Amino acid sequence: MPRYGIAIDTTKCIGCQACRVACQNQNNLPVTEEFNRIVERERGTYPAFGKEFVPLQCNHCENAPCQRVCPTGATYTTEEGVVLVNPKTCVGCKYCVQACPYRMRVMDHAKGIVEKCRLCVELVRDGGTPACVSTCPTQVRIFGDLDDPKSEISRFIAEHRAQPLRPDLNTKPKIFYKRS
Amino acid sequence: MLESAWGWYIIAYLFLAGAGAGAFISAVACDLLAPDWSKSLARAGSLASGPLVAIGTACLVLDLEAGLWEPWRQIYLVANSSSMITWGVVILSGFIPIAFVYAAALNEITIVGKIAKKYLIYLEIVGAVLAVATAGYTGVLIAVVNGVPFWNTPLMPVLFMASAMSTGLAVAMIGAAIIDISTIRTLSNFALGHVIFLAVEGLVLGLLIFMSLTKSVEAADSAKMLISGALSPYFWILVVIVGLLVPFVMSIVEYHEYGEMPKILVVGADLLVLIGGMSLRAVIIFSGTPPHIV
Repeated sequence: MPRYGIAIDTTKCIGCQACRVACQNQNNLPVTEEFNRIVERERGTYPAFGKEFVPLQCNHCENAPCQRVCPTGATYTTEEGVVLVNPKTCVGCKYCVQACPYRMRVMDHAKGIVEKCRLCVELVRDGGTPACVSTCPTQVRIFGDLDDPKSEISRFIAEHRAQPLRPDLNTKPKIFYKRS
Repeated sequence: MLESAWGWYIIAYLFLAGAGAGAFISAVACDLLAPDWSKSLARAGSLASGPLVAIGTACLVLDLEAGLWEPWRQIYLVANSSSMITWGVVILSGFIPIAFVYAAALNEITIVGKIAKKYLIYLEIVGAVLAVATAGYTGVLIAVVNGVPFWNTPLMPVLFMASAMSTGLAVAMIGAAIIDISTIRTLSNFALGHVIFLAVEGLVLGLLIFMSLTKSVEAADSAKMLISGALSPYFWILVVIVGLLVPFVMSIVEYHEYGEMPKILVVGADLLVLIGGMSLRAVIIFSGTPPHIV
């Protein structure tokens, strides 16, 4: 079984928001709801300074706090390591929204349940890649199997020593970042 | 103010469950330790306990969305033993019926109460354990959330426990004054309880703030929001002055004067404790700040 993850090269990101729109399109989300977003950040001080765009989405943590606190067991991890929410058993208690240190869970007040990035499992299982990955004009994201040492993502992470965001929180995220 | 996934329903629940559990413990303590002269307080505490926790639990259910519209989904709430909500559902399911039966027994309401009265001591033991679990659990619920560093400390259940005891005692004392105003004199004995619980609460709250200031950037952000930021007027006026300092001083005077304090001030101190308890939950929930991630 593969163990899917995404590597993100923020040095390539131009902040065009195509990934966010592609995701909303793929998941039939209204414009007000998003499973991924781009945070703009200024780095350094004048004259050595610049702007960094950091695309964010669910980290599909191996030690997922959202899954631990979910009382109904609606949040679960598939064999491929994708963290999903079962829409039939979620009660909308929002405990997971509070527990996620990355704040990547969204309350859908129309459906009354919590939703999030699903790593486009339906596309992935058909041999494709998530919409945010395939749509990116500057190829910021690399999708693949973290357990395959020959995969593009594994080689990219090894070569650039890519790290997850806030590894100290010990949730073992599967989204890795190369930031300089 | 920060956007929080939880709002007033959860705050009301944390407050009501704590006050109800505290009222139960006050009632049991009075009935076991001083059954002759604290009867009205024990009666009031037992009568208030079940309804308060039940209303609090209703708030918890009202905060649900899909689980409120399709109530059968709530059956899944006990599915995950690593979730504090699952534990809470089990604890509340045990505590609420026992609190109602205990009130019936202590006040000899209906045939149920008369039968249950024979097993009063067992109701008191099991009920007190579940009451401590209820009050403590409201703190643990948010203390295990590592998505909010300010909450993520073992001090939180201790703080909630102390606040549950002082608000519960306040509920029982107000109830006792309603049931039988002539007992207001004996209420002075319980002012000592307020002095102790409020002192512990103030101490733990102070510790929480000081520890948070050095714990992490985010916990410090939350603490600063309380002591000097957006929530500081509510924190200083409603929590510290109205909820802790004033009732603390009034309770010392009440105990010292022993029954000579005007009735309005005795009940007034208890009302202030309740305002403080609710405000404490509100500022803690609203000051929760997630980790800085980028």
